[in-house]
Amino acid sequence: MSQVLPEILAPAGSLDKLKVAVLYGANAVYVGGQKFGLRTAADNFTLDELREGVAFAHERGAQVYVVLNSFLHDKDLLELPEFVLFLEEIKVNAVIVSDLGVVKTVARLSNIPIHISTQASTLNVEAAKFWKSIGATRVVVGRELSVKEAGKIKREANIEVEMFIHGSMCMAYSGHCVISNFTQGRDSNRGGCAHSCRFEYSLDMGLDTEEKKKAFFMSSKDLEGLRILPEFINEGIDSLKIEGRMKSHLYTGTMSKIYTEALRYYHEHGNFLSDDLLYWESELKKVSHRTYTNASLIEKAGAESIFNERENSTEAEWQMVGTVIEASPNCGIVIEVRNAFNQGAELEILPFKGQVINIIANEITDIMMKPLTRTKPSTLIKLPYKAGVESMQLVRQKANS
Amino acid sequence: MKLTTFAQTLHDLGLIKDQGLSEVILGHQEFSRFGKLNNDEFLELSKRAREMGLKVIFEWDVLMTENTFGGLANKIKLFLDSFDSLRVQDPGALEWSFKNTSKPLQFIAENGNHNIVALKGWIDHVQGRMERIVLSIELPRLTIEEYVKQLKVPCELLGLGRILLFYTPRLLLSPLMEDKFSYHETINAIGESEESPHKGFPIVENRHGTFMFHIKDFCLIEFAQDLSKMGLGFFRLDFRWTEMDLLKIVKGLCANSFEGELEAFKEKYPQDLMRGFYLVNKTDVLFPKLKNHRLQNREGNYIGEVMEAEKGSHLAILVKNPKGLSKTDKLRIVHPKGEIFEVNIFSLRNLSLEELDFIGPQKMALIQFVGGVWVKSQVFYQ
Repeated sequence: MSQVLPEILAPAGSLDKLKVAVLYGANAVYVGGQKFGLRTAADNFTLDELREGVAFAHERGAQVYVVLNSFLHDKDLLELPEFVLFLEEIKVNAVIVSDLGVVKTVARLSNIPIHISTQASTLNVEAAKFWKSIGATRVVVGRELSVKEAGKIKREANIEVEMFIHGSMCMAYSGHCVISNFTQGRDSNRGGCAHSCRFEYSLDMGLDTEEKKKAFFMSSKDLEGLRILPEFINEGIDSLKIEGRMKSHLYTGTMSKIYTEALRYYHEHGNFLSDDLLYWESELKKVSHRTYTNASLIEKAGAESIFNERENSTEAEWQMVGTVIEASPNCGIVIEVRNAFNQGAELEILPFKGQVINIIANEITDIMMKPLTRTKPSTLIKLPYKAGVESMQLVRQKANS
Repeated sequence: MKLTTFAQTLHDLGLIKDQGLSEVILGHQEFSRFGKLNNDEFLELSKRAREMGLKVIFEWDVLMTENTFGGLANKIKLFLDSFDSLRVQDPGALEWSFKNTSKPLQFIAENGNHNIVALKGWIDHVQGRMERIVLSIELPRLTIEEYVKQLKVPCELLGLGRILLFYTPRLLLSPLMEDKFSYHETINAIGESEESPHKGFPIVENRHGTFMFHIKDFCLIEFAQDLSKMGLGFFRLDFRWTEMDLLKIVKGLCANSFEGELEAFKEKYPQDLMRGFYLVNKTDVLFPKLKNHRLQNREGNYIGEVMEAEKGSHLAILVKNPKGLSKTDKLRIVHPKGEIFEVNIFSLRNLSLEELDFIGPQKMALIQFVGGVWVKSQVFYQ
């Protein structure tokens, strides 16, 4: 196959998640520092962690993009130069920016490539040309675009194009929602989004009946674009982004692994005529999510793209049990437990490549080798060693088992 | 400071002319989010406005994806002789208008654009063609004053009108209407949520998508003279959701606002009113409370995190610092609630329970239990 493959760009809300994403195959990760991003409540990276994360990723051939995608006020902008110089020093591969003032500041102070965030809602060729003319090398196009429209932008504006392929979606044009600003006093475009679009609303629609319609009418289903991978490739999309810096390690690892494997299969075979397609889809469903939709990737999102359900109705067939801390014949498999499980539980360990490793937890001990019949969250436990298990791998079990 | 407003009918135009305004914003239904004018209506209204001596501003604030944009942008050329200035919001629309027309440009910088560098950037990009910049209503007074001084072009600010909170191209109300909806019709609703203290959000669905507004309208009329003194160029009054007949009263209040008259106006006005962030914008002050900063402090002498605290037995610390952990190190452990423990290491073991003098990075170190230390406590070198 001669086609250039898009990169898989995974979210990394913390240094641990960066490592998970890279180890599970992501070609690139996007991360946030303590300021200037849109995920104020995420762990985010300290300066030391950014340095370590960039080194970790680069050693494994992955790129690191740093989000500076808040719409900054003047006082915020004053604090930016020092951070930009630091990012250049540690050799981040790009910054992701929404605000023209930030673009100008980064371009003035550094040679760091600039990617225009989806928050800027780049929707057409002319907008991409504008951003290119002021120094951007890539646009992360708005989620309202189809893959074909994005391909046209790439060809006609001659700029790299990145598209979201998976994850939660704003219902509003990104950057054009200020519900939180005016109702909760939290600037959504500086990281304070209160997710008011996920609320249930009673709607008086002037109908004959006095009954108000109750609906989660502003809540979007989650994006899932696995079967559309061939279209992304055919249109020459440069980067496929997975949303979710606030999401779990299991999410980060699963998405990085599955999209990377699917892309690799398509590259090698030129098709998706594989039983693996169903396996990949089943894997995507194992992570907590709202109902999936293609949104506007093929044609404009319609009524079927609305997630008219309460948030806690999200599907979670499987839950994360924990992370492998160490694994060796000497000390066995040490797991940091996030969710409790019982002796005899059927666990799945997600390897960095290939099929899951099944383990039945018949012999559980604490790290002092005392036998256990049930584990507790926030503890370390040991299982007998099994070949193929490595540190940083994720452990899961079927929910409610 | 000049007043500017929208016209949707000949009646509106008459009122605008009567009140001595010098310009009018016209919204074509395919380009303006809430524009109602079709081609013929636009041309007619524009012609009549010009006959009245009014400057005509063509509003293009609909955000358009490529397929729509490519199909529609050239249509503006049909109207080039019928308006004087082109007002855009999307950077693509700005770029297209800059390259494909010679009209003076007005840029709606109401989303974001809360720094002078950005605002100057838009102005500089169009090389002397920028006629006006529309500032965000999230800017506080002192910032507006500073921008008005620093920017080379006149600034405009909303003076009275709805506050748009949310704009999506998806049609969100019509799916709830079952068979009571036909395409292109505007649907209006009022929304409220038990999860929000605010009740009565106006919601509109039209051909361009769905829009939600604040329960209160924005009003800076009481500050009109202050804004005029600071040099604001244009004060926009939006009566598209109320009555154009209010223009006369509002114009009077802007020129000479007496408290009693203003209160009477507020009483009469169909919506409650607010001044938003005009006096102060503190929409970032809550951010520090969104997370536990004691868990976030991982700079400097940071070693790692307590992963397990087993009473009477051990603390398990995941060593993250590349320098590792030596038995001679003195530790400072910060509890998630802030309590600090200073600790000497008496016992240092790995997960194979071997007693060691040093544990390398990314490994688990077991030290003696320290009463009061919990999981997630952060560990530092002293």
